[in-house]
Amino acid sequence: MAVNLQSRVIDLRRKLLAMGAEVEQRVALAVAVVRDGDVDIAKTVRETDAEIDAMQAEVENECMRLLALGAPVASDLRLILSAIRISNELERIADMAKGSCKRVTKLVESGSYRFPPALLDMAEATRTMLRDVLVALSNEDAKLCLEIRRSDSFVDALNREVMLWSREWITQDVHSTAAAIEILAIGQRFERMADIITQIAGDTVFLVEGRILRHGAE
Amino acid sequence: MTSQHSPQSVPTEGSPPHAPSGVVVRNLNAWYGSFQALTNISLDIAAQRVTAFIGPSGCGKSTFLRWINRMNDTIPSARAEGTLKLHGDDILARSMDVVELRRRVGMVFQKPNPFPKSIYDNVAFGPRLHRVYSKGDLDMLVEQSLRQAALWNEVKDRLRASALSLSGGQQQRLCIARAIAAGPELLLMDEPCSALDPKSTLAIEELIQQLAERYTIVIVTHNMQQAARVSDTTAFFFEGQMIEWGETEAIFTTPTNRQTEDYVTGRFG
Repeated sequence: MAVNLQSRVIDLRRKLLAMGAEVEQRVALAVAVVRDGDVDIAKTVRETDAEIDAMQAEVENECMRLLALGAPVASDLRLILSAIRISNELERIADMAKGSCKRVTKLVESGSYRFPPALLDMAEATRTMLRDVLVALSNEDAKLCLEIRRSDSFVDALNREVMLWSREWITQDVHSTAAAIEILAIGQRFERMADIITQIAGDTVFLVEGRILRHGAE
Repeated sequence: MTSQHSPQSVPTEGSPPHAPSGVVVRNLNAWYGSFQALTNISLDIAAQRVTAFIGPSGCGKSTFLRWINRMNDTIPSARAEGTLKLHGDDILARSMDVVELRRRVGMVFQKPNPFPKSIYDNVAFGPRLHRVYSKGDLDMLVEQSLRQAALWNEVKDRLRASALSLSGGQQQRLCIARAIAAGPELLLMDEPCSALDPKSTLAIEELIQQLAERYTIVIVTHNMQQAARVSDTTAFFFEGQMIEWGETEAIFTTPTNRQTEDYVTGRFG
């Protein structure tokens, strides 16, 4: 099997960005679900998750083929290694979006859906972070990646507000405990998404500069 | 990221990436007639390490290699200026004994070139030129050289057979044994595996790594993977200039120069 590494690497990059765009759309829908409690949109997000899984498998298989047959080095090698990680991270973000939709649906159907403003704020902030990291990936912008990594603390702070709000709700009405726990779980999903987005930012820095930004390294 | 040196950041004497230096090169310029083949080359070739020269055809890497043992002396129009020192001795000096230099700097070529003599006589040829050995000493030197070239076990029972009866890979290892037997400090290898099959190539690559424990090795190769596999340091040449020089790992993962990046990834050359 002949491998034209240059064209295949360009194609791999295109596939990764296309997957990113699909995941960004899922997260945007998940934010809308949180905001509007729209179970129909939530159902769409849940039912189309398999498409993301397939895209991730395709990216990973292509990376394996290029590593085995193309003997990549330098930026080609870094792109392939980054694509393996980033596609996996994007798939996990899509899973989190699906999970949050599932929990909103449960709350809406039980008639007990209410949420604190901080939850919507963190969902919106997470969506913005994802959009920015995909722009950074597309433009190979390491500087923007470092800014994205710092904005994760904003989402963490909002998550703490969601925790306080949920605790207060339980204190006021013990019968709302189950619903409050669901709100906490939704908050955790977005908080986790933001964490994963910071990992994608780190992987993008590796792609551009070859520096490994993990385990707290800057 | 590991340290890298561009032609603009010439290393100073005594501060190479890996001391001690086997060969010190400063502002080396070389010409064939009016054509300038090398321009301001400065680098330190670390002792007992493998340095790979890579670059497209005509970039000057073989020209550079041939100045290190003054093989270009045979070309009337060839001349060079600058500093080129082997363990402190000026290679370009008129007073340099070129025969002695070539004993100190062994060379292995692209195509195996054994003499049409026996295996034994091929290895013994260099030592016999330089001094008189007793038969016992010469036997021992031939055996040691063939062992170092990882060929002894394959030829020990037919040392008097013609070297031309060996396979291509064996002939190349014989040429390496012949170079070693002269007691060199530096081994120059100009695409030593380009005429060999994959198995023989692997054998030579393993041998290069073993030999680097004793000798300073410079290898010119067009095979990027080979440079990545066998060398500690890599220098990239383009149009007579050394574009980038650094740890092989850095050159093949995070080169600092765009031209190096484009070359190692196969985008040009």
